[in-house]
Amino acid sequence: MRGHERLIVTAAVLALGALWEGLARLGLLDPSLLPAPSVVGEALVRLLARPEVLASLGVTAWEVLAAFLLATPIGLGLGFLLAEVPAVGALFRPLVNFLFGVPKSIFLPVFILVFGVSIPQKIAFGVFTTIFVLIVGGIAAVQSVPPELVTVSRAFGASRGQIAREIYLPAMAPILLESARLGMVFNITAVLLCEIYGARDGIGYRIASWGENLQMPQLYAALVIVAVAAVAVNEALRAVEARLGAWRERA
Amino acid sequence: MSRPLVAIRGVSQRFGPDGAGVVALDGIDLEIPDGQFAAVVGPSGCGKSTLLSLVAGLRRPSSGTVLCDGEPITGPMPRKVGMIFQEANLLPWLSALDNVAFPLKLRRVARAERLPAARRMLTLTGLSGFEDRLPHQLSGGMKQRVAIARGLVQDPAVLLMDEPFASLDEQTRMVLGDELLRIWSETRKTVLFVTHSLNEAVYLADRVIVLSARPGRVVDDVTVDLPRPRTFAMTGGERFGALKDRIWRHIKHAERG
Repeated sequence: MRGHERLIVTAAVLALGALWEGLARLGLLDPSLLPAPSVVGEALVRLLARPEVLASLGVTAWEVLAAFLLATPIGLGLGFLLAEVPAVGALFRPLVNFLFGVPKSIFLPVFILVFGVSIPQKIAFGVFTTIFVLIVGGIAAVQSVPPELVTVSRAFGASRGQIAREIYLPAMAPILLESARLGMVFNITAVLLCEIYGARDGIGYRIASWGENLQMPQLYAALVIVAVAAVAVNEALRAVEARLGAWRERA
Repeated sequence: MSRPLVAIRGVSQRFGPDGAGVVALDGIDLEIPDGQFAAVVGPSGCGKSTLLSLVAGLRRPSSGTVLCDGEPITGPMPRKVGMIFQEANLLPWLSALDNVAFPLKLRRVARAERLPAARRMLTLTGLSGFEDRLPHQLSGGMKQRVAIARGLVQDPAVLLMDEPFASLDEQTRMVLGDELLRIWSETRKTVLFVTHSLNEAVYLADRVIVLSARPGRVVDDVTVDLPRPRTFAMTGGERFGALKDRIWRHIKHAERG
């Protein structure tokens, strides 16, 4: 975002907040459904001071990270295999494409049956939801490698290792990172869904119980925390992506 | 004329399962002496590019041998043979300088050594001042100059050029043709230059090798006896026209058949 765009966005957010606050204070909003931003803000400060809430955030962060660290190399690796080995690709690509379109949430009860309500269950479901994005991304990344650059490198005597390092890796990097970032969005969604559906800890579990008990300020405060964390992760990955993909022509 | 630097002996190339499919080249015998600028022309699909890729070591002939400096070519020999393709094919994530230095990097030449060498090549091809540009910041002609610099950076004895100016506009093409002749006269490489432009072939080369339609055979081997340096005025001359006519008769015949 450029300077003046940032200014406009900030002003719009502040204006919306002020409007919300004003309507709440005038009694035009039902506080049991939509409490004033100042009330949510207070709740936010209190939540961040409670060790058990911080611990829940830690649990969720750990589940998200573990699922991401498992799904990314496995998914991208499988994608690479499917794209580079024709026989494997012919066999499994239709299956991947088919499963890619199926909503993963319907499998959640199966994961509870297999893993129980546990942290491994959250991680496994996160991996399962994310991995298809990464497989498809891995395939796209391989397909984005210009074959003529491979020929040129061969003509200049490049070994297979050098072609992998000097051509494949830099050519695929932008799409790999983009896939990882999209995978992360799916991953966070999957882990939170698991926690809201059934868990013993985690921020999703707390959001669900605050919701059930109509503790709206806490609920909204937690939403703010999750939203800020998710956006921060997304933007951080996008910054890396922009850096490594700076050579791509802007269309 | 000195010893042949590139020798192509009884080379045939077949494609398809077990070489049973299309015959691209059939019984090619050629010797290119050291320092010669040889152009290869022929109708589309006659195997001109296949011939170059055999000399580049990118493929092995179905039969026959290709020798460079007396040594059989069994794979790419980047220190002896530099290749320039129709498209510049630069690595889009590397600067012009790093692109030119790329063949040296593949040979694990230290950065401190390869960058000055690359800089000299960019100066030779008229691109000093553009070292830090990324490929997408260069024009088509400039990209091809970078590709030529990259082909020259290892100081190979042989320069293979596969329709290097085909995707450029007419003016850029003529300017780069003159530039190539200047570079050639300064470096005295042996050049094997594939083109589909008869003007370009006669204007640039010492010798024009004419291939027939598939299967590609050598149907004529024309010595271009125009004096050097070549000038634009020559292209309107009688001798130039006569040479072009002679080559065109072969091509016309082949394209019809």
